[in-house]
Amino acid sequence: MDISSQIKAAIENEIADAVVVVKPASHGHFEIDVTSQEFAGKSMVKQQQLVYGAIKDLMAGDSAPVHAVDRLRTKTP
Amino acid sequence: MSLEPAMKERITSIIGKSDVVLFMKGNRMMPQCGFSGRVVQILDGLLGEYDTVDVLADPEMRDGIKEFSSWPTIPQLYLKGEFVGGCDIITDLYNSGELHTMLGQKAPDRTVPNIEITPEAAARFREFLERSPDKALTLSIDARNQPSLGLAPPQGSEIVAESNGIKVLMDLGTAARAEGTRIDAVEQNGGVGFRVDVAPNAGAAAAPAGEVKQVTAGEVKKMLDDGEKFEFFDVRTPEEQEIAKIGARLLDEEATKYIETLAKDTPMVFHCHHGGRSQAAAEHFARLGFTDVRNMAGGINAWSAEVDPDVPRY
Repeated sequence: MDISSQIKAAIENEIADAVVVVKPASHGHFEIDVTSQEFAGKSMVKQQQLVYGAIKDLMAGDSAPVHAVDRLRTKTP
Repeated sequence: MSLEPAMKERITSIIGKSDVVLFMKGNRMMPQCGFSGRVVQILDGLLGEYDTVDVLADPEMRDGIKEFSSWPTIPQLYLKGEFVGGCDIITDLYNSGELHTMLGQKAPDRTVPNIEITPEAAARFREFLERSPDKALTLSIDARNQPSLGLAPPQGSEIVAESNGIKVLMDLGTAARAEGTRIDAVEQNGGVGFRVDVAPNAGAAAAPAGEVKQVTAGEVKKMLDDGEKFEFFDVRTPEEQEIAKIGARLLDEEATKYIETLAKDTPMVFHCHHGGRSQAAAEHFARLGFTDVRNMAGGINAWSAEVDPDVPRY
Protein backbone atom coordinates (compact mmCIF):
# COMPACT_ATOMS: atom_id res chain seq x y z
CA MET A 1 0.00 0.00 0.00
CA ASP A 2 1.48 3.38 -0.93
CA ILE A 3 1.95 6.02 1.73
CA SER A 4 -1.04 8.13 0.66
CA SER A 5 -3.31 5.09 1.05
CA GLN A 6 -1.76 4.31 4.43
CA ILE A 7 -2.50 7.84 5.63
CA LYS A 8 -6.08 7.59 4.35
CA ALA A 9 -6.61 4.18 6.00
CA ALA A 10 -5.13 5.30 9.32
CA ILE A 11 -7.42 8.35 9.49
CA GLU A 12 -10.52 6.39 8.44
CA ASN A 13 -9.67 3.82 11.09
CA GLU A 14 -9.61 6.45 13.83
CA ILE A 15 -12.42 8.76 12.68
CA ALA A 16 -15.38 6.64 11.70
CA ASP A 17 -17.18 8.75 9.09
CA ALA A 18 -14.11 10.57 7.74
CA VAL A 19 -13.91 11.43 4.06
CA VAL A 20 -10.18 11.71 3.42
CA VAL A 21 -8.32 13.17 0.46
CA VAL A 22 -4.53 12.82 0.51
CA LYS A 23 -2.38 14.62 -2.02
CA PRO A 24 1.37 13.91 -2.12
CA ALA A 25 3.37 17.15 -2.33
CA SER A 26 7.17 16.81 -2.41
CA HIS A 27 8.94 13.65 -1.21
CA GLY A 28 7.57 12.64 2.20
CA HIS A 29 5.34 15.72 2.28
CA PHE A 30 1.56 15.53 2.01
CA GLU A 31 -1.55 17.68 1.90
CA ILE A 32 -4.56 16.23 3.68
CA ASP A 33 -8.26 17.16 3.62
CA VAL A 34 -10.59 15.49 6.10
CA THR A 35 -14.35 15.93 6.35
CA SER A 36 -16.17 14.44 9.32
CA GLN A 37 -19.14 14.99 11.61
CA GLU A 38 -16.72 14.27 14.49
CA PHE A 39 -15.27 17.78 14.10
CA ALA A 40 -18.55 19.51 14.96
CA GLY A 41 -18.20 21.78 17.99
CA LYS A 42 -14.43 21.22 18.26
CA SER A 43 -11.78 23.93 17.96
CA MET A 44 -9.48 23.92 14.93
CA VAL A 45 -6.61 22.67 17.09
CA LYS A 46 -8.70 19.83 18.54
CA GLN A 47 -9.80 18.84 15.01
CA GLN A 48 -6.22 18.74 13.79
CA GLN A 49 -5.08 16.86 16.89
CA LEU A 50 -7.60 14.12 16.05
CA VAL A 51 -6.05 13.72 12.61
CA TYR A 52 -2.43 13.95 13.77
CA GLY A 53 -3.20 11.42 16.51
CA ALA A 54 -4.48 8.99 13.87
CA ILE A 55 -1.33 9.17 11.75
CA LYS A 56 1.27 9.53 14.52
CA ASP A 57 2.84 6.14 13.81
CA LEU A 58 3.45 7.19 10.20
CA MET A 59 5.21 10.34 11.41
CA ALA A 60 7.30 8.88 14.25
CA GLY A 61 11.07 8.58 14.15
CA ASP A 62 13.75 9.93 11.86
CA SER A 63 12.96 7.62 8.92
CA ALA A 64 9.20 8.11 9.11
CA PRO A 65 7.35 7.68 5.80
CA VAL A 66 5.58 10.99 6.41
CA HIS A 67 8.08 13.80 7.05
CA ALA A 68 5.62 16.61 7.13
CA VAL A 69 2.03 17.57 6.48
CA ASP A 70 2.32 20.74 4.42
CA ARG A 71 -1.36 21.53 4.73
CA LEU A 72 -4.10 19.96 6.83
CA ARG A 73 -7.68 21.06 6.32
CA THR A 74 -10.50 19.77 8.49
CA LYS A 75 -14.17 20.50 8.06
CA THR A 76 -17.63 19.20 8.83
CA PRO A 77 -19.84 17.87 6.01
CA MET B 1 4.43 3.47 19.93
CA SER B 2 2.83 4.86 23.03
CA LEU B 3 3.85 7.34 25.64
CA GLU B 4 5.83 6.04 28.64
CA PRO B 5 4.04 6.84 31.91
CA ALA B 6 7.24 8.43 33.25
CA MET B 7 7.47 10.78 30.26
CA LYS B 8 3.79 11.61 30.54
CA GLU B 9 4.29 12.51 34.18
CA ARG B 10 7.33 14.64 33.37
CA ILE B 11 5.48 16.64 30.72
CA THR B 12 2.42 17.06 32.94
CA SER B 13 4.68 18.41 35.67
CA ILE B 14 6.48 20.82 33.30
CA ILE B 15 3.28 22.32 31.89
CA GLY B 16 1.78 22.52 35.39
CA LYS B 17 4.71 24.48 36.82
CA SER B 18 4.39 27.59 34.68
CA ASP B 19 1.54 29.39 32.92
CA VAL B 20 3.45 29.68 29.67
CA VAL B 21 5.67 26.85 28.43
CA LEU B 22 7.17 26.67 24.96
CA PHE B 23 8.61 23.37 23.72
CA MET B 24 11.12 24.47 21.09
CA LYS B 25 14.37 23.74 19.30
CA GLY B 26 17.13 25.65 21.09
CA ASN B 27 16.39 28.33 23.65
CA ARG B 28 15.19 31.92 23.78
CA MET B 29 18.59 33.36 23.01
CA MET B 30 19.51 30.88 20.33
CA PRO B 31 16.53 29.30 18.61
CA GLN B 32 17.82 26.51 16.38
CA CYS B 33 14.99 26.58 13.87
CA GLY B 34 13.08 29.34 12.09
CA PHE B 35 9.66 28.27 13.37
CA SER B 36 10.83 28.20 16.99
CA GLY B 37 12.51 31.57 16.40
CA ARG B 38 9.30 33.11 15.11
CA VAL B 39 7.35 32.03 18.18
CA VAL B 40 10.11 33.27 20.52
CA GLN B 41 9.98 36.63 18.78
CA ILE B 42 6.21 36.80 19.32
CA LEU B 43 6.40 35.75 22.98
CA ASP B 44 9.38 38.03 23.73
CA GLY B 45 7.27 40.95 22.53
CA LEU B 46 4.49 40.04 24.94
CA LEU B 47 6.12 38.55 28.01
CA GLY B 48 9.21 39.17 30.09
CA GLU B 49 9.36 35.65 31.40
CA TYR B 50 8.20 32.27 30.20
CA ASP B 51 9.55 28.75 30.32
CA THR B 52 11.13 26.98 27.39
CA VAL B 53 12.08 23.33 26.96
CA ASP B 54 14.81 22.56 24.42
CA VAL B 55 13.76 19.33 22.71
CA LEU B 56 17.09 19.10 20.87
CA ALA B 57 18.81 18.54 24.21
CA ASP B 58 16.49 15.64 24.97
CA PRO B 59 15.49 13.25 22.15
CA GLU B 60 13.01 11.42 24.39
CA MET B 61 11.27 14.69 25.12
CA ARG B 62 11.26 15.50 21.40
CA ASP B 63 9.26 12.35 20.63
CA GLY B 64 7.35 12.42 23.90
CA ILE B 65 5.87 15.89 23.49
CA LYS B 66 4.68 15.08 19.95
CA GLU B 67 2.90 12.03 21.30
CA PHE B 68 1.57 13.86 24.35
CA SER B 69 0.05 16.67 22.29
CA SER B 70 -0.99 14.61 19.25
CA TRP B 71 0.94 17.22 17.31
CA PRO B 72 3.74 16.30 14.91
CA THR B 73 5.83 19.46 14.88
CA ILE B 74 7.95 21.63 17.17
CA PRO B 75 7.46 24.34 18.51
CA GLN B 76 4.45 23.72 20.73
CA LEU B 77 2.95 26.23 23.13
CA TYR B 78 1.13 25.40 26.36
CA LEU B 79 -0.84 28.04 28.27
CA LYS B 80 -2.04 27.14 31.76
CA GLY B 81 -1.52 23.46 30.99
CA GLU B 82 -3.55 23.58 27.76
CA PHE B 83 -2.08 22.92 24.32
CA VAL B 84 -2.46 26.01 22.13
CA GLY B 85 -0.79 24.99 18.88
CA GLY B 86 2.29 25.27 16.72
CA CYS B 87 3.91 28.13 14.86
CA ASP B 88 1.11 28.85 12.35
CA ILE B 89 -1.64 28.82 14.95
CA ILE B 90 0.36 30.98 17.36
CA THR B 91 1.09 33.47 14.57
CA ASP B 92 -2.63 33.64 13.72
CA LEU B 93 -3.64 34.07 17.37
CA TYR B 94 -1.03 36.79 17.76
CA ASN B 95 -2.05 38.70 14.65
CA SER B 96 -5.73 38.56 15.55
CA GLY B 97 -5.03 39.75 19.09
CA GLU B 98 -6.45 36.58 20.67
CA LEU B 99 -3.07 35.63 22.11
CA HIS B 100 -2.97 38.96 23.96
CA THR B 101 -6.33 38.16 25.51
CA MET B 102 -5.25 34.63 26.41
CA LEU B 103 -2.22 36.09 28.19
CA GLY B 104 -4.39 38.60 30.03
CA GLN B 105 -3.12 41.62 28.12
CA LYS B 106 -5.04 44.37 26.45
CA ALA B 107 -6.04 43.99 22.83
CA PRO B 108 -3.34 45.18 20.43
CA ASP B 109 -3.42 48.11 18.08
CA ARG B 110 -4.04 46.79 14.58
CA THR B 111 -3.53 50.13 12.86
CA VAL B 112 -2.33 49.66 9.28
CA PRO B 113 0.99 51.48 8.90
CA ASN B 114 1.68 53.87 6.02
CA ILE B 115 4.42 52.46 3.84
CA GLU B 116 5.76 53.53 0.49
CA ILE B 117 6.62 51.21 -2.38
CA THR B 118 8.26 53.12 -5.24
CA PRO B 119 6.74 52.60 -8.73
CA GLU B 120 9.96 50.79 -9.82
CA ALA B 121 9.77 48.37 -6.89
CA ALA B 122 6.02 47.90 -7.42
CA ALA B 123 6.61 46.89 -11.05
CA ARG B 124 9.15 44.26 -9.96
CA PHE B 125 6.88 42.90 -7.24
CA ARG B 126 4.02 42.67 -9.76
CA GLU B 127 6.18 40.42 -11.96
CA PHE B 128 7.02 38.14 -9.02
CA LEU B 129 3.41 37.95 -7.89
CA GLU B 130 2.15 37.13 -11.39
CA ARG B 131 4.55 34.18 -11.47
CA SER B 132 3.36 32.92 -8.06
CA PRO B 133 -0.36 33.67 -7.94
CA ASP B 134 -0.91 31.77 -4.67
CA LYS B 135 1.66 33.86 -2.83
CA ALA B 136 1.73 37.33 -1.37
CA LEU B 137 4.47 39.82 -0.60
CA THR B 138 5.44 39.72 3.07
CA LEU B 139 7.43 42.19 5.13
CA SER B 140 8.98 41.40 8.47
CA ILE B 141 10.76 43.91 10.71
CA ASP B 142 12.27 42.36 13.81
CA ALA B 143 12.71 43.93 17.22
CA ARG B 144 16.10 45.27 16.12
CA ASN B 145 14.41 47.01 13.17
CA GLN B 146 16.03 44.59 10.69
CA PRO B 147 13.68 44.25 7.72
CA SER B 148 13.23 41.27 5.39
CA LEU B 149 10.97 40.74 2.39
CA GLY B 150 9.49 37.43 1.29
CA LEU B 151 6.90 35.70 -0.85
CA ALA B 152 4.63 33.33 1.09
CA PRO B 153 1.10 31.97 1.00
CA PRO B 154 -1.16 34.34 2.96
CA GLN B 155 -2.34 33.02 6.34
CA GLY B 156 -5.36 35.28 6.54
CA SER B 157 -4.63 37.02 9.84
CA GLU B 158 -1.92 39.40 8.68
CA ILE B 159 -2.17 43.16 8.62
CA VAL B 160 -2.26 44.36 5.01
CA ALA B 161 -0.76 47.66 3.88
CA GLU B 162 -0.92 48.85 0.29
CA SER B 163 1.13 51.18 -1.85
CA ASN B 164 1.17 51.67 -5.63
CA GLY B 165 -1.25 48.77 -6.04
CA ILE B 166 0.94 46.27 -4.18
CA LYS B 167 -0.34 44.68 -1.00
CA VAL B 168 2.20 43.91 1.72
CA LEU B 169 1.35 41.42 4.46
CA MET B 170 2.91 41.74 7.89
CA ASP B 171 2.45 40.48 11.40
CA LEU B 172 1.37 42.63 14.30
CA GLY B 173 4.88 43.32 15.58
CA THR B 174 6.07 44.38 12.15
CA ALA B 175 3.02 46.61 11.65
CA ALA B 176 3.89 48.49 14.83
CA ARG B 177 7.41 49.12 13.51
CA ALA B 178 6.62 49.70 9.85
CA GLU B 179 5.19 53.24 9.85
CA GLY B 180 7.08 55.25 7.25
CA THR B 181 8.95 52.30 5.75
CA ARG B 182 10.06 52.85 2.15
CA ILE B 183 10.76 50.02 -0.30
CA ASP B 184 12.72 50.82 -3.45
CA ALA B 185 14.26 48.79 -6.29
CA VAL B 186 18.04 49.02 -6.56
CA GLU B 187 20.76 47.70 -8.87
CA GLN B 188 22.57 44.86 -7.16
CA ASN B 189 25.42 42.84 -8.67
CA GLY B 190 24.04 43.40 -12.14
CA GLY B 191 20.51 42.33 -11.12
CA VAL B 192 17.70 44.13 -9.40
CA GLY B 193 17.29 43.90 -5.66
CA PHE B 194 15.25 45.77 -3.12
CA ARG B 195 16.16 48.25 -0.49
CA VAL B 196 13.99 48.55 2.61
CA ASP B 197 14.39 51.69 4.70
CA VAL B 198 12.74 51.41 8.07
CA ALA B 199 11.92 54.83 9.49
CA PRO B 200 14.07 55.33 12.59
CA ASN B 201 12.25 55.16 15.92
CA ALA B 202 9.01 54.52 14.08
CA GLY B 203 7.75 51.76 16.30
CA ALA B 204 6.84 52.47 19.87
CA ALA B 205 6.98 48.69 20.30
CA ALA B 206 10.55 48.42 19.04
CA ALA B 207 12.86 47.29 21.81
CA PRO B 208 15.69 49.68 22.50
CA ALA B 209 18.78 48.34 20.81
CA GLY B 210 21.04 47.25 23.62
CA GLU B 211 24.59 48.43 23.59
CA VAL B 212 27.23 45.71 23.36
CA LYS B 213 30.89 46.59 23.68
CA GLN B 214 33.56 44.60 21.85
CA VAL B 215 36.59 43.29 23.71
CA THR B 216 39.57 41.39 22.33
CA ALA B 217 40.70 38.01 23.59
CA GLY B 218 43.83 39.71 24.98
CA GLU B 219 41.75 42.19 26.97
CA VAL B 220 39.66 39.39 28.45
CA LYS B 221 42.86 37.51 29.41
CA LYS B 222 44.08 40.63 31.18
CA MET B 223 40.74 41.03 33.01
CA LEU B 224 41.06 37.44 34.22
CA ASP B 225 44.72 37.88 35.23
CA ASP B 226 43.94 41.11 37.09
CA GLY B 227 41.22 39.32 39.02
CA GLU B 228 38.63 41.75 37.70
CA LYS B 229 35.10 40.86 38.77
CA PHE B 230 32.89 39.88 35.83
CA GLU B 231 30.67 37.06 34.65
CA PHE B 232 32.09 35.05 31.75
CA PHE B 233 29.81 32.96 29.54
CA ASP B 234 30.38 30.48 26.74
CA VAL B 235 27.56 30.51 24.19
CA ARG B 236 28.71 27.38 22.32
CA THR B 237 27.31 23.84 22.58
CA PRO B 238 28.54 21.38 25.26
CA GLU B 239 30.16 19.37 22.44
CA GLU B 240 32.25 22.37 21.37
CA GLN B 241 33.20 23.05 24.96
CA GLU B 242 34.61 19.54 25.18
CA ILE B 243 36.95 20.31 22.28
CA ALA B 244 38.25 23.57 23.68
CA LYS B 245 37.45 25.78 26.64
CA ILE B 246 38.81 28.82 28.44
CA GLY B 247 36.97 28.71 31.74
CA ALA B 248 33.74 30.46 30.82
CA ARG B 249 30.46 29.06 32.08
CA LEU B 250 28.29 27.29 29.52
CA LEU B 251 25.22 29.42 28.81
CA ASP B 252 22.56 26.77 29.43
CA GLU B 253 19.07 27.17 30.89
CA GLU B 254 20.47 27.20 34.40
CA ALA B 255 23.02 29.89 33.61
CA THR B 256 20.29 31.96 31.97
CA LYS B 257 18.17 31.77 35.11
CA TYR B 258 21.25 32.74 37.12
CA ILE B 259 21.81 35.84 34.96
CA GLU B 260 18.22 36.92 35.59
CA THR B 261 19.07 37.11 39.31
CA LEU B 262 22.09 39.40 38.76
CA ALA B 263 22.16 43.17 39.22
CA LYS B 264 21.64 44.94 35.90
CA ASP B 265 25.06 46.62 36.07
CA THR B 266 26.97 43.35 36.51
CA PRO B 267 29.82 43.22 33.98
CA MET B 268 29.32 40.27 31.60
CA VAL B 269 31.49 38.91 28.79
CA PHE B 270 30.22 36.45 26.21
CA HIS B 271 32.27 34.31 23.85
CA CYS B 272 31.59 31.61 21.27
CA HIS B 273 33.63 30.13 18.42
CA HIS B 274 34.04 33.18 16.19
CA GLY B 275 31.99 35.89 17.90
CA GLY B 276 28.65 35.75 16.05
CA ARG B 277 26.56 33.68 18.43
CA SER B 278 27.97 35.48 21.47
CA GLN B 279 27.12 38.85 19.89
CA ALA B 280 23.49 37.71 19.52
CA ALA B 281 23.42 36.47 23.14
CA ALA B 282 25.04 39.68 24.38
CA GLU B 283 22.46 41.77 22.50
CA HIS B 284 19.69 39.69 24.04
CA PHE B 285 20.85 40.52 27.56
CA ALA B 286 21.49 44.16 26.68
CA ARG B 287 17.87 44.35 25.56
CA LEU B 288 16.80 42.89 28.90
CA GLY B 289 18.36 45.95 30.52
CA PHE B 290 21.90 44.83 31.38
CA THR B 291 24.19 47.82 31.01
CA ASP B 292 27.70 46.34 30.93
CA VAL B 293 27.59 43.64 28.27
CA ARG B 294 30.67 42.76 26.23
CA ASN B 295 31.30 40.42 23.33
CA MET B 296 34.69 38.78 22.90
CA ALA B 297 35.46 39.58 19.27
CA GLY B 298 36.74 36.63 17.24
CA GLY B 299 35.66 34.11 19.87
CA ILE B 300 37.75 31.26 21.22
CA ASN B 301 39.40 31.07 17.82
CA ALA B 302 40.99 34.48 18.44
CA TRP B 303 41.99 33.30 21.93
CA SER B 304 43.91 30.38 20.40
CA ALA B 305 45.56 32.71 17.90
CA GLU B 306 46.40 35.64 20.18
CA VAL B 307 46.50 34.44 23.78
CA ASP B 308 47.09 30.73 24.16
CA PRO B 309 48.02 28.44 21.23
CA ASP B 310 47.50 25.41 23.51
CA VAL B 311 43.74 25.92 23.26
CA PRO B 312 42.79 23.66 20.34
CA ARG B 313 41.36 25.26 17.21
CA TYR B 314 38.58 23.52 15.40
